[in-house]
Amino acid sequence: MFGPVGLSLAPYVRSSRTLSKWIAPVATWYANASGYRKYGFKYDDLLVEETDEVQRALKRLTPAESYDRAFRLKRASQASVLHKPLEKSEWIKPEEDVRYLVPHIENVMKEVDERRAWDDLKVERK
Amino acid sequence: MLAARTSNARCVKRIARSFATVVDAAGVKVAAVDRNQPTASVTLFIKAGTRFETKEGVANALKNFAFKTTANRSSIGTVRESELYGGLLYSTLDREHLALTAEFLRADAPYFVDVLTSFVTSAVFTRHEFEEVVAPLVASDTAAAAHNPAARAIDIAHNLAFRSGLGSSLFAPEHSKITVDDIKSFATATFSKNNVAVVGTGIDQATLSNLVEKGFAKAKADATATSAPASKYFGGETRLGGHGGPQTAFIGFGTTAAASAELAVLAAHLSPVPSVKWSKGLSPLSSLPQGTSVTPVNLTYSDASLFGLLVQGSTAEGVKEAGTAVVAALKAAAKGIAPEVFTSAVAKAKFAAASATDTREGVIAALGSKIFSTTPGTLDASLSSLEAVSATAFSKAAATLIAAKPTYVTIGDAQLPFADELGL
Repeated sequence: MFGPVGLSLAPYVRSSRTLSKWIAPVATWYANASGYRKYGFKYDDLLVEETDEVQRALKRLTPAESYDRAFRLKRASQASVLHKPLEKSEWIKPEEDVRYLVPHIENVMKEVDERRAWDDLKVERK
Repeated sequence: MLAARTSNARCVKRIARSFATVVDAAGVKVAAVDRNQPTASVTLFIKAGTRFETKEGVANALKNFAFKTTANRSSIGTVRESELYGGLLYSTLDREHLALTAEFLRADAPYFVDVLTSFVTSAVFTRHEFEEVVAPLVASDTAAAAHNPAARAIDIAHNLAFRSGLGSSLFAPEHSKITVDDIKSFATATFSKNNVAVVGTGIDQATLSNLVEKGFAKAKADATATSAPASKYFGGETRLGGHGGPQTAFIGFGTTAAASAELAVLAAHLSPVPSVKWSKGLSPLSSLPQGTSVTPVNLTYSDASLFGLLVQGSTAEGVKEAGTAVVAALKAAAKGIAPEVFTSAVAKAKFAAASATDTREGVIAALGSKIFSTTPGTLDASLSSLEAVSATAFSKAAATLIAAKPTYVTIGDAQLPFADELGL
């Protein structure tokens, strides 16, 4: 729950047509308003990365993905130094803002959980 | 006395019969030998050896990918569950086959056969597993081989002798560019039912066939069996520096004729291992210089074989002396040897063939080497083929063997002898 990937109602909202019709515009507005795209970030660039799981997930990115991530982080820190968002042409478009890291984190978490399950396994003799 | 002998003969016949049964279970060849051992083993032979590889080192990478995540269970699940059952899982690679073996208590066969078959039918080759687990294993195989002069000499000898096909190395190059997609496409090309054979020991034939049928129920059979161009023998000489370890020379000869009993007799004749401990033995190589050793190597493949002698010693001079003795012994064998020496060589070869089938590894190797091409012969058949070798056929085989261009490899100091200095 307090991990890098917190609880989310998004799958439930997405599964219901009515709900997503109501909530999607608000979500889009909120994502744009929070301003990270103006600094050239994708949402997954903002996840807390100081945990073992996320570090392992980061290693699983393809070389191109991790290069692009490093580039976005550097470009954003430069923009932060200049106290100014990027040029509008360099903003991340909503369709580019994909969750490229979360699937890897979820896989790592699943592995960690499985290892814990095997570690705590109680063997019963039949 | 007589009673003992007849019961013994009956026992041999029973083993000989159970040794040869090969049946087709859902398109997969299955052979099993049950000698009522307390533990059982199942080996999956897949025609995915280095001979068939599409890119250098991909077969080695596939070997190290064994028992990783499949659709049925994750790699940690495989490890932990096998530990709970108390079994052993390992994969080995030779030039023609990839062998996946499980050893277990007899009652646990369903689980372990499922572990083996699910790798063939539903392995998911993930990129992160390759990078995190498999690539370091591939690199460590390569590093271990680089520090073992005997393994390295034989590996390079294959390359000189057969160039491509059987000549490809068992190990990945030091800086390999294998990607997980290469492994996946190699696996897709080779993992089909007509490329797989199953050998069981300590397990009943019918039980094993049933389990195999169940495991391969969803496997594809459409892919044609992998094939490689016929082997050709070339030969040659190379000299390499060693990374520590003894000074090594390999004197070999290859042939693309069918595996012959004559070469097995020749190997037995030249083997300097004495029959009695602390004695020197009667082999022509029994009086080698101090600190040197000679090991006959007789490797047979489906369409070629490499026969040679591995000479190792602490100094280059010792290796030179021993190597000269080896070449002289080979030439003497080609000219013909004394009948009593020949008889004892045949007996030694027969004993080696028979005692090899006593061990689990020997049975698996004997069945696995032939299961794809022919129905594996009985032990009796291989013994009688050794018995049928005549002294003239033996010397003729030796003469044809050494008439070919030698395959000569040295690993170690620059002072190690050149081929012509040994009289090759």
